[in-house]
Amino acid sequence: MADLKRFLVRRAITFIPTIIGVTLITFVIAFVIPANPARAWAGGIKADPHVVAAIVKEYHLNDPWYVQYYFFMKGILTNSIVDPLFNYKVMSYMLARFPITFQLTLFALFFLVALGIPLGIISALKKDTIIDAFVRVWALTGVSVPIFWLGYIFIYVFFYMLGWITVAGVPYPKVHITGVPIIDALLSGDWITFAENVKRFILPGFTLGFAGIGIIARLVRNSFLEAINSDYIYFAKMRGLRNRRVFMHALRNALVPVVTVVGLQFGGLLGGAPITETVFGIPGMGRAMVQAIFNMDFPVLIAGTLLAALIFVITNLVVDILYAVIDPRVRF
Amino acid sequence: MSGEVQREPLIEVENLYVYFYTYAGVVKAIEDVSFTIYKGETFCLVGETGCGKTVVSRTLTNIVPPPGRIVKGKVIYHRDGEEVNIIKLSEEELRNIRGREIAYIIQDPSAALDPLYVVGYQIAETMVDHGTVKDFKEGFGRAVRLLKEVLIPDPERRVKAYPHELSGGMRQRVVISMGLSNEPKLLIADEPTSYLDVTVQAQVLDLLRELKRKKGLTVLLITHDMGVVAEMCERVAVLYAGNIVEVAPVDELFKRPKHPYTVGLLRAVPNPLTEIEKLESIPGTVPNLIKPPSGCRFHPRCPHATEKCRREKPPLIRVGPSHYVRCWLYAGRGEEVAKSE
Repeated sequence: MADLKRFLVRRAITFIPTIIGVTLITFVIAFVIPANPARAWAGGIKADPHVVAAIVKEYHLNDPWYVQYYFFMKGILTNSIVDPLFNYKVMSYMLARFPITFQLTLFALFFLVALGIPLGIISALKKDTIIDAFVRVWALTGVSVPIFWLGYIFIYVFFYMLGWITVAGVPYPKVHITGVPIIDALLSGDWITFAENVKRFILPGFTLGFAGIGIIARLVRNSFLEAINSDYIYFAKMRGLRNRRVFMHALRNALVPVVTVVGLQFGGLLGGAPITETVFGIPGMGRAMVQAIFNMDFPVLIAGTLLAALIFVITNLVVDILYAVIDPRVRF
Repeated sequence: MSGEVQREPLIEVENLYVYFYTYAGVVKAIEDVSFTIYKGETFCLVGETGCGKTVVSRTLTNIVPPPGRIVKGKVIYHRDGEEVNIIKLSEEELRNIRGREIAYIIQDPSAALDPLYVVGYQIAETMVDHGTVKDFKEGFGRAVRLLKEVLIPDPERRVKAYPHELSGGMRQRVVISMGLSNEPKLLIADEPTSYLDVTVQAQVLDLLRELKRKKGLTVLLITHDMGVVAEMCERVAVLYAGNIVEVAPVDELFKRPKHPYTVGLLRAVPNPLTEIEKLESIPGTVPNLIKPPSGCRFHPRCPHATEKCRREKPPLIRVGPSHYVRCWLYAGRGEEVAKSE
């Protein structure tokens, strides 16, 4: 336990340079692009010069870059910076969108785990059969097919042609517990809202998880094959253990590396899935970032980057802790 | 061991053939192997790496790894006065025998244990799955006693240790305790000491001998080490390239080795019974078993090989009480038999 505490402190310290690094890079890119954000925020070419001057002053746009960076970061972290275009507090705005992205990620993760792991096990058990080939093709297609194309095809088939699902909008249940609509609906037993959320998120979730499912399945297949061909499994059979127990030994060993990859995917997806959210019109963090880019809305962009980086390092940390929980050989 | 005393057989292997169907071709790993293991004895299989010792041991519960298959032969197991042919049993019947009546100790104790489970759990599950304890709670209790029996210090604590927290010698003891957990009729120890330090090797051998004496176990010991053979065994079968070339009581084998391969093998290691000036190696290497040598499989390396050895497979000849050899040199100097003891 003392080990765990020291580990957490050590890791928390490494967060700081990571987050400064990520936000600084985003800031520098926004800073160097040859555009005049003040004029864009004030309304474009016909903007009133007085307004432009006021914005420049308000957002320190004529100050050196480090002053600007400090101003943005402080404003975002203390939630005091107000969006120049829409007049809301930037951090509140992003945090309000986080539950939607979280919900989308949950759906994608559900498909990753519920399809990826069984497919991987089946293709290991039926090695070099048609199922194995199918998974192989899926993995290859998954990483090769662009998400926006896949998303539109799915919308065309399942929404336009078959009418099985609903797109756009997020129905909220009446009660507010966690802020994530589907979890709140589930907790309060609001099944209608729950079903509506499933109908809207199942397709984007599947689209977002599509590439990952193939990757996870291949990973599970290979690590499962490695496990069932290992000496301890052979020895387990020689000891006359029941088939189910032999299988559990193999599965638990096979899932050790899978936990890492699923965790990293989860962290990556939580940071926002701009393409999927845009294609399916989901008002999450990813879409907010895309809109911010079009609007040259730098405060939102930096706030989004900061949140994504934070989420990523935290999930990484959780994965590392989980890893030590499932594999006793790993020590902090 | 005079051979005159009535002994009760436990396992009889008869004319066994095991082939491995690989991409490169059919590996004729075991051909026409017969031997008998009697109740209460320690029977040894010796031979070089790759001669098929391990494969033979795995046929006893029909758990030859793919692409290997038993193509011909019988493994008769004398189970409470009943004779069963292991090869004919279903997977579930075999599972009930494996680890319960015929238990294994395998070579590499580090790889034999699942790294994610504490050793107590792994010992306990061996008993739980055979119904010799009623649950894991009782299993853990028994595991502590077993660990004590194999001389692991502080067994109450070690039972909760993960394999990586134990030393190689301790892991081997854990594996031995698993083998003993269901009080098997036959314990098959496949090179139980080859991954251990020399000092630990002696300890583990002492332990095995002590356990055998206490429990009246029957042991099949597989080794390439003639020193271990001399120390542990009562009868020995010498395996060469998938054939048994000689079977004899241990003293007889060391004093009067008959087969040229056995003679070579004994010259290659310090012999505990006779003094030899200089260790000699056997020229050549183990043959490729996809295309094994014609006639006697040893003829390309044999100093006494004749034309006949190249052409015809030698018969098994009984050259003394309980002493059998498969070699043309002894044709006419003993009775030809179909299978050895």
